[in-house]
Amino acid sequence: MIRTYSLTKYYNATPALRQLTLEIPAGAVYGVLGPNGAGKTTLLQLIMGFVLPSSGTIDRGGISPADIGYLPERAFYPPRFTVRSYLDTIARLVGSRERNRQDEVTRLLRQVGLSEVGDRRMGACSRGMLQRLGLAQALLGDPDLLILDEPSLGLDPSGQLFMRQQIAALNSSGKTVLLSSHHLDEVTRVCTHVAVLSRGRLVRAGDLASMLAPRARVVIDCGPVPPELARQLHERLPNITISDQRIVLGGDAVAHKAEILRQLLDHDVDIRQLSEVRSTLEEIFMEATEW
Amino acid sequence: MVKRVATLTSYLILNLSRSLAGVVPLALALAFGIIAFEYGMDQPQFITVSGIGIGGICLVTALLLASRANRASSYLLVARLRWRAELLVAIVLASLAITAALGMLVSIANLFAGRLTLEFPSALWVLPTWLPLWLLAATLALPLASLVERGGSHLIGYALVAGLLIANDRKAFLIREGIDWLARIVTAALWPINTLAERASAGIHGRDYAMAWALTCIYALLLFTLAAALFGDKDLLWSE
Repeated sequence: MIRTYSLTKYYNATPALRQLTLEIPAGAVYGVLGPNGAGKTTLLQLIMGFVLPSSGTIDRGGISPADIGYLPERAFYPPRFTVRSYLDTIARLVGSRERNRQDEVTRLLRQVGLSEVGDRRMGACSRGMLQRLGLAQALLGDPDLLILDEPSLGLDPSGQLFMRQQIAALNSSGKTVLLSSHHLDEVTRVCTHVAVLSRGRLVRAGDLASMLAPRARVVIDCGPVPPELARQLHERLPNITISDQRIVLGGDAVAHKAEILRQLLDHDVDIRQLSEVRSTLEEIFMEATEW
Repeated sequence: MVKRVATLTSYLILNLSRSLAGVVPLALALAFGIIAFEYGMDQPQFITVSGIGIGGICLVTALLLASRANRASSYLLVARLRWRAELLVAIVLASLAITAALGMLVSIANLFAGRLTLEFPSALWVLPTWLPLWLLAATLALPLASLVERGGSHLIGYALVAGLLIANDRKAFLIREGIDWLARIVTAALWPINTLAERASAGIHGRDYAMAWALTCIYALLLFTLAAALFGDKDLLWSE
């Protein structure tokens, strides 16, 4: 588990991160969200040790930054090295032995779909290939923790799908993944936990399922509700909205939907449709980062 | 650690040699080899002139290597290091290796062209004399590089080096103007380098030579320690 305590980072007088206390559980896929300049990359760079905190501490749970697989937001590569020779260099830095190294590089090239371009110079690789290469180098040494800064940045839809599948596969093999992303859809699909940053502050954090659950709503399209019944429902359940021909249940009221339906039927209210509306991460994000 | 430093060193050499900037040390070495040896060189001249001249190339090479390491592409390398100082060690070793190759090229070419005369076995003292000078040049480049500097500290470094060289050149003027204390400080500060070159060119490898040799290495160690301290807790905010 990674913990940060009151983590604060200033660049000169400009605050990038303020009093951030966060817990990233082992085995989670933890998404860090936030608008541009919210402090996402700063947080990841602090955990990697590239920048040092102005105050506060980071507990990496005994993992050295050198043992973390890292993919920066925009990875740059020496253009005249081949894909294979570059991976070989990183594998040497990781400490792989000669024989294992060749096998590991070949396996990772296959895993990220770059087997056929292993001998191509990196300057001649497409953006998508370089992003796959970035993932491959992050996986060298089989790290337990991966930090991926905008892993789908600049990828086409098939590249994004590939990245999501890889992250899901990493998670199912027990690895902890900390990623930042602007793709809310990607975060919803792959992350188990989410933190939302805004102007350097943590505004929401928790596991995604419980973050979304209380916000689910049930909408009942029906005929006119008798005023007496409407009053009774309002008194019992504050999270209920009754308009002309629609009843919306939110919060605690969702759990009482069966009972409410029964009461509507008892009062001969015509029920046309019942639908459950799940809240989206986008709503949470927009609400949390509202300036 | 040794394996990581060796890997980084070979990476830095390959990276420089495959770039346009890689032409700079080669061009400097060729220019030095042609101009400095134009009228021929005997062994004493070779030890002092070439030792310091090629030392200058070593300084430039280390600055080039540090400049190339000061880029976003280094994130993925530094991420895998246990200590950031490993990158600095690799820069020093890479610049020494490139300098040694260029020094060899210049020396052998001029030897075959008949513009250099060496006497053996005393010529075997050339490399042990040059090595601490090059080491000093390579480690001096570190605090002068943007990779390592913090808050413009490299500008102070450049000013100090320039001041030291100017004061050394104008010692007579300093004494005449009554600031002989500064002349004495400069003489003392540069004693190891001057003594190393003088004693080696005179073929005297006694106690002074050994002390100058050791002090030059200590200077290099101090400069490296300073660079490692500056780089060790510096915010690495690289862009390409």
